[in-house]
Amino acid sequence: MHKRIAEAFVGEYASGKSENAIYRALSLKKAGGKVTLVDFDIVEPCYTLRPLKQELTELGLNVLAWSTSETFGLGEAGQTILPQARWALRREGHIIVDVGYGADGARALNLLEGSAVDPDLRVVLVLNARRPMTDSAMRIEEYIESMGRVDGIIANTHLADETTPQTVEDGYHIIKEVAKRRNIPIDAISVSQQFNEKYPKFGLDDKELRVLGAFMPRSFW
Amino acid sequence: MKDLKEKNETKDKYAVRPIVGEKRAFATGNEVVAWAALAADADIMYGYPITPQNEIMHYWTRMSEKYGRGFLQTEDETSAGFTTLGGVLAGRRSFTATSGPGNMLMQESMCMAEMMRLPTVMIVQQRGGPSTATVIYSQQEVNLTCFGGNGEGFRIVYSTCSHQELFDYTINAFNVAWTHRFPVFVLGDGYQAKMREPVTMYDPRDKGITMVPTEPYVLKEGCAGVDREPQQMRNTYNTEEELNEVVEGLNAAYQAVIPQVVKHEEYACEDADYVIVAHGVVTRAAQAAVEYFREKGLKVGHFRPVTLRPFPGEAFRPIADRAKKILVAESALGQMRRIMTDTIYGCSTPMVNFFKPGEGISTEEIIVKVEEMMAEDK
Repeated sequence: MHKRIAEAFVGEYASGKSENAIYRALSLKKAGGKVTLVDFDIVEPCYTLRPLKQELTELGLNVLAWSTSETFGLGEAGQTILPQARWALRREGHIIVDVGYGADGARALNLLEGSAVDPDLRVVLVLNARRPMTDSAMRIEEYIESMGRVDGIIANTHLADETTPQTVEDGYHIIKEVAKRRNIPIDAISVSQQFNEKYPKFGLDDKELRVLGAFMPRSFW
Repeated sequence: MKDLKEKNETKDKYAVRPIVGEKRAFATGNEVVAWAALAADADIMYGYPITPQNEIMHYWTRMSEKYGRGFLQTEDETSAGFTTLGGVLAGRRSFTATSGPGNMLMQESMCMAEMMRLPTVMIVQQRGGPSTATVIYSQQEVNLTCFGGNGEGFRIVYSTCSHQELFDYTINAFNVAWTHRFPVFVLGDGYQAKMREPVTMYDPRDKGITMVPTEPYVLKEGCAGVDREPQQMRNTYNTEEELNEVVEGLNAAYQAVIPQVVKHEEYACEDADYVIVAHGVVTRAAQAAVEYFREKGLKVGHFRPVTLRPFPGEAFRPIADRAKKILVAESALGQMRRIMTDTIYGCSTPMVNFFKPGEGISTEEIIVKVEEMMAEDK
């Protein structure tokens, strides 16, 4: 029996939360077992899992997200949590939760039934040290403080197709400095497929390297 | 406001710089606008939430307190527009941002800014219309942003195409506004607002850009009528003749500003038989289409108005006259084309419309259109 994985991905707007959540869910699926991927974004309904629901379902994930036709007023009207998403932690198998951006997004975790007491649940912060709000050790530290709870970090520093090994490495070192100070483990380094093809030998500190699929560009609205 | 005043009165106002040195960052267009306004020493933003502009406000509010700036969320866009004028009257580098229906509500105040020559700065992230329509994307706010309200369009409107331009033109907008004292608009769209791409952010001072100093219009030092001219700001007049004189005066001032601000870009237009005209984000598709055709040795060019108001008709006229055909591509039903054709009145070059109101235009689609035009000429 696999150990149950329950992870909630939080982070700055456009930090790579959803892409990392999808990666994590799909890799757990490949390793065997049931995986539920939950869209818990009530902050920014623009880039969410919703448009990818069918594609991800076909890949074997149990996706808890609204369908586009079930929602309206994207970004205008208040967002409602999909009722079954609220109870996701009670499901069998691995649970990956994609949470809305920022401190407000992370606060929405309170609405996830059992989130405060679930012994397996880890809150994973996705960080891109090229995002202006998290582009220095000081800003990252402030950011972590605003999030309330962070149990792990994914170093996802990139500049889209301008990313070089130096970009990833510089970001990693900034993140590592803060992680060490705050005693938070870095779970993995994530890079794009495009980057991986260009620099197949890239690695740092023997950290797990997660090569992300490019799902999110197709998820606009 | 009291805190803001105190902060503004300290000598090293804005001593803590939001951006140090030049930074390549990965950001969304809305964020870029907020950072640009911070870097430009904007004092205060007035706003009311509307998609797809929201993150300009989100990011401004997240950062404004830290850097001693002000923010006021008003009860609606009518109020956000007028309070922006109030900020300017008090001598503050003030701005607002909106979209679609919000842009409509702000026209009343922007007309007042035209009449009083107040240097307001407004960012518009266009969404679909008419009415609430979509929150996504369009180029349907050209009429409104260039000529909205009951005025004569005494405004300067920059249509941006990338995050870099959103950053550069937002900074520039404050300087153009405070130099020429006309309302300035940065016209983006929902795509640019939400898209993520690398951008170079900088402190304007490091680039040798000096922010044009602001000054209060009201509550100046001394005794009005004794130490200084009394200030009477008006937007209402009694007789036709009075008004006519005022509007003619505004027009003369605006006409004098045009040569200093009008802006365009040309891509392989010098010998082009087919010229694509597009503005804003659609210029990216047009530029890529020109590259495609030029690689094949075909004479296709692209003319891009950067300012939609004033429109660079003078620069476009010889290019339009020389071309065999013009393709006008816009995500609206000819809002830019109407402005354009007016400025090249008498030009007999046939024009083909490629209008997709509320929808994006891709490079491939432009290529197909131009190929159709070429086939007709064979």
